[in-house]
Amino acid sequence: MANLSWRSSVKIAAREMHSSRGKFFFVILSVAIGVAALTGVRGFSASFRATLLNRARSIMAADLSARMFQQPTPAQQKGLDEIAASGVEMTPVTELLSMASSAKTLDPLLISLKAVDPAMYPFYGEVELAPAGRLKDVLGPDTVVVADDLLIRLHLKLGDELKIGTRVFRIASVVVNEPDRLSGSFAAGPRILISREGLDASGLLAPGSHAGQRYLFKVQQPARGVAISDKAVAQLKERLEKLLPEAQIIDYRETNPALAQGLDRATSLLSLMSLVALVLGAIGVAMAMRAHLQQRLDTIAIMKSLGARSGQIMKIYLLQTLLLGLLGGIVGVAFGVGVQRALPYFLAKLIHVQTDLRVEPAAIFTGLAVGVLTTLLFTLPPLLDIRGVRPILILRRSVEENDDPFVTAIWRKATKNFAQVGAAVLIVGGLAAIATTLSDSVTVGKVFSLGLVGVLAILLAASAVVLWGLRYFLSKTRLHLPSTVRHGLANLYRPGNPSAALLAALGMGVMQIMTVYLVQQAVVSELHLSSAPNLPNVFLVDITSDEIAGVRALLKAQPSVTSTAEMLPVVSSRIVAIDGVEADALKLKNFPKRMLRSISLTWSETLPPGTKTVEGKWWPEKERGAFVAVGQRQAGRLGVKVGSKITFAAQDTQIVATVVALTKADGQHAYSRAEFVLPPAPLAGLPVVWYGGVHADPARVGELQRALYQAYPTVTVINVAEALETIRSVVIQITYVIQFLAAFSIFAGIIILASSIAGTRYRRIREVVVLKTLGATRARIATVFSIEFAVLGLVAGTVGVAFANVVARTLLKRLSVSYHFRWEWTVLALLGTVMLTVATGWMASHRILGQKPLEVLREE
Amino acid sequence: MISVEGLRKSIRNGSRTVDILKGIDFTVPQGQFAAIMGASGSGKSTLLGLLAGLDTPSAGEVRLNGTAISYLPEDKLAQVRGKTIGFVFQSYQLIPTLTALENVLLPHELNADAKVSGLARARELLTSVGLGDRMEHYPVQLSGGEQQRVALARAFILRPPIVLADEPTGNLDTTNGTHVLELLLNLNKTEGTTLVLVTHDPMLAGYADRRIVLSDGRIVSDELNSAAHPRQASVVAQ
Repeated sequence: MANLSWRSSVKIAAREMHSSRGKFFFVILSVAIGVAALTGVRGFSASFRATLLNRARSIMAADLSARMFQQPTPAQQKGLDEIAASGVEMTPVTELLSMASSAKTLDPLLISLKAVDPAMYPFYGEVELAPAGRLKDVLGPDTVVVADDLLIRLHLKLGDELKIGTRVFRIASVVVNEPDRLSGSFAAGPRILISREGLDASGLLAPGSHAGQRYLFKVQQPARGVAISDKAVAQLKERLEKLLPEAQIIDYRETNPALAQGLDRATSLLSLMSLVALVLGAIGVAMAMRAHLQQRLDTIAIMKSLGARSGQIMKIYLLQTLLLGLLGGIVGVAFGVGVQRALPYFLAKLIHVQTDLRVEPAAIFTGLAVGVLTTLLFTLPPLLDIRGVRPILILRRSVEENDDPFVTAIWRKATKNFAQVGAAVLIVGGLAAIATTLSDSVTVGKVFSLGLVGVLAILLAASAVVLWGLRYFLSKTRLHLPSTVRHGLANLYRPGNPSAALLAALGMGVMQIMTVYLVQQAVVSELHLSSAPNLPNVFLVDITSDEIAGVRALLKAQPSVTSTAEMLPVVSSRIVAIDGVEADALKLKNFPKRMLRSISLTWSETLPPGTKTVEGKWWPEKERGAFVAVGQRQAGRLGVKVGSKITFAAQDTQIVATVVALTKADGQHAYSRAEFVLPPAPLAGLPVVWYGGVHADPARVGELQRALYQAYPTVTVINVAEALETIRSVVIQITYVIQFLAAFSIFAGIIILASSIAGTRYRRIREVVVLKTLGATRARIATVFSIEFAVLGLVAGTVGVAFANVVARTLLKRLSVSYHFRWEWTVLALLGTVMLTVATGWMASHRILGQKPLEVLREE
Repeated sequence: MISVEGLRKSIRNGSRTVDILKGIDFTVPQGQFAAIMGASGSGKSTLLGLLAGLDTPSAGEVRLNGTAISYLPEDKLAQVRGKTIGFVFQSYQLIPTLTALENVLLPHELNADAKVSGLARARELLTSVGLGDRMEHYPVQLSGGEQQRVALARAFILRPPIVLADEPTGNLDTTNGTHVLELLLNLNKTEGTTLVLVTHDPMLAGYADRRIVLSDGRIVSDELNSAAHPRQASVVAQ
């Protein structure tokens, strides 16, 4: 069978594209936007991951790290000493929250303290100081190095004194960066590096203190100039895992598992957001291709009359689509480099690693492949319509579909719809496959693709309904409206205007950005708690048993305190077994096994305030038996019920406690955080640290902090408002990135709008010419078009904002955050969308106004 | 040979049905030149479209060289069209993005064996219609008459047994129209095709072997033309 050669097909496709290059410029841009976002995200992620790997040892500051949740037992300490004696270098790093103050300010400041041995730490990488210097030269028993923001907040400078715990230290230098910042604990306050002797002298560490302990290890170098082998690292890791079974041991190649997992999840989420922009771009391509094919009906009909089969003609336009997808992809990859460079800027406060940005071939390939594939998928429906073009068009313009004989008509309809249904299935399937690849999860892929298609369908339906309503309104009020308004509204229904699809695409972008904003604002507002009079707004951490009575008395005497302090004793322990099953062998639901190593036990004679029993029965007062009441949610995760036996280990003591009750707390008391409550007797003699919460007059929290700090400098006082401020800034930082990517969807919608307006250019020119001939001024014509663009923007904005509120409300309900409709944001979003659409509309059609009537009329 | 049996064609125009052809029967033997005439709206172009397989009749059948084509699937029909029929449209209908030579070659690329090059034949045809020096020009660079000559050459590239022409001189001025007609008739004579030409011009119909007159969707007259003008290069003299 004869076939149109690829060469001929490419020739026809390329020449048509060249003659329509103005129109196809927007199409290429549509694809480029989404590809840029995707390539940028994945390129940055790959670069960041490569940086983590390249600097893995520096990021850990060691070959291995062992995170301990308890102090080592004597036996374990002996084992560690033996390891040290074998040539392995070892140094402890302790991180804790505490308070610091200076003579220049009254208020103490919450700080993130990190105690190191400057002679050993770090094993890899450098602590960057200002002025430049070596840590071991400046950090001694009486000195500290501090972060710049501490100096600012406490109005200090180098050389000034700083009180931490019970000791006063001199500020020797400013710490700009530590190599293992990412591997450490979350810094809730300005960073201070202190020596181990300094920490011991400060009195901050007491048995049971809430301090994070890491041991860093450096394997002995085989010989000078010879690299440490991974085998040696693995051997040491094995040895440590046997010695410290409850510790979290990782080597430098794993970097930070939480960080790696976080990076994977973030990459997946941001990739999917980029995919939304890509899909919108592909829809734009499909709309442009449909319009293009409409204009090519004559050519298609001619070719069919000359003997071309539908498949041969489809080959030409498939090639065009492929070329457009490729060109868009290439342009997008180039833009993607810019996106890759922009992302670190948004994440600067979260990532303390200078990322070596470079071109990542895998990211480029993914961006290109996904761009081309998505474009091809979404262009299938208009391409399939080529099959329905009838050659009789050449002789008779108005060809009715139902002038066929009955059987032919049915067959034509069935094959057309069957093919289109098949195309739809292919599109959804293809989208699911792409989403699965990007997110590395079949479930996410399925949910995303169905969800996206569903949302687009709903937006399309909503847009169509609104347009229909507007048309109905127009039909009823036609003669009462000013003619410019009437004309502008009527233009929405101009033949060739794919208004509903356009509105859906634009609405999608508005919806995305508005949803992110609404959720962010609600979450951040919720963090801005103005607590009820009885809710604690000041928390006290690490109160020792010696201090508890004094602290209670002090709080009682403070005029700023408006409620009775609730104090909670905490014993650090770990779960060794449940119902005889060892911890390692337990099958847990939504409960990481490593958390079994960090369990807080508390005691109470009676049912604590704000707590109720949901199953079982509380023990009588003075009970001495080994019983435990477990929080209902925790019990579900651990798979325990009334009657189960949990074996706890605290220091060298093991407690086998029987579950006698499951409880539920109201979340408003200090005991609300207690998941495991025992009678006092089983925990007697174990190291205990007290936590407390108290409500102080918000305006006088500083007064309370000063009084506590003066009397008990080792007690950490957390002003909830300040802590929430830190969390809020992190949340805002994260949402900046999400909104940055959501903006790409808006760009895609804008490009589609511009493309659609450019596509109806000739019709508009003819309109302008006729109007001018009839006496219309340029100002009047401009008003008519502006009304058309503004109404488009208003409708898209309304649909987008309405659904944004619906989605935000649903999401916030799941997060247990309250939702409030905000008129001011709605109005702003609508105004913004209108301005954007009017600006875009005019950018795409500004030369129309200058068209001379006779030039156009002569061409007729 | 073209054979038409009981051909009917109706279309829906809004809510009403319009009968364009109300039962057409005729046969055009091989090699005959038949002119279909009639006033505007008589159904001439619709009949030509059905003969070419560009449309499906409401009833009846069209046979080309014995093959019934009216209800063939579209792809099969395209093959038949490509190999059996050469078509000359009133509005030339050239592909705007292809040169004159490429337009003439297109039917060959679509329908012929890819191993056989049609280039020589295309060049020969274009030369024979007087466009030997305009082969690389695009339609927009050619006059109406020149475009129609390209369309003529395209119609004959595959040596089709049947050529259908719909008002081939309708959009041309007298001089160009005469020239194009002359070329069409010459090509028809040298290639030995069956030619069916739709026209409302009696002068043009005077060259046909047979005149079929349509009126209101029916044949009202079907006569051999004993006084047909010879199909030679003497059109201008007439």
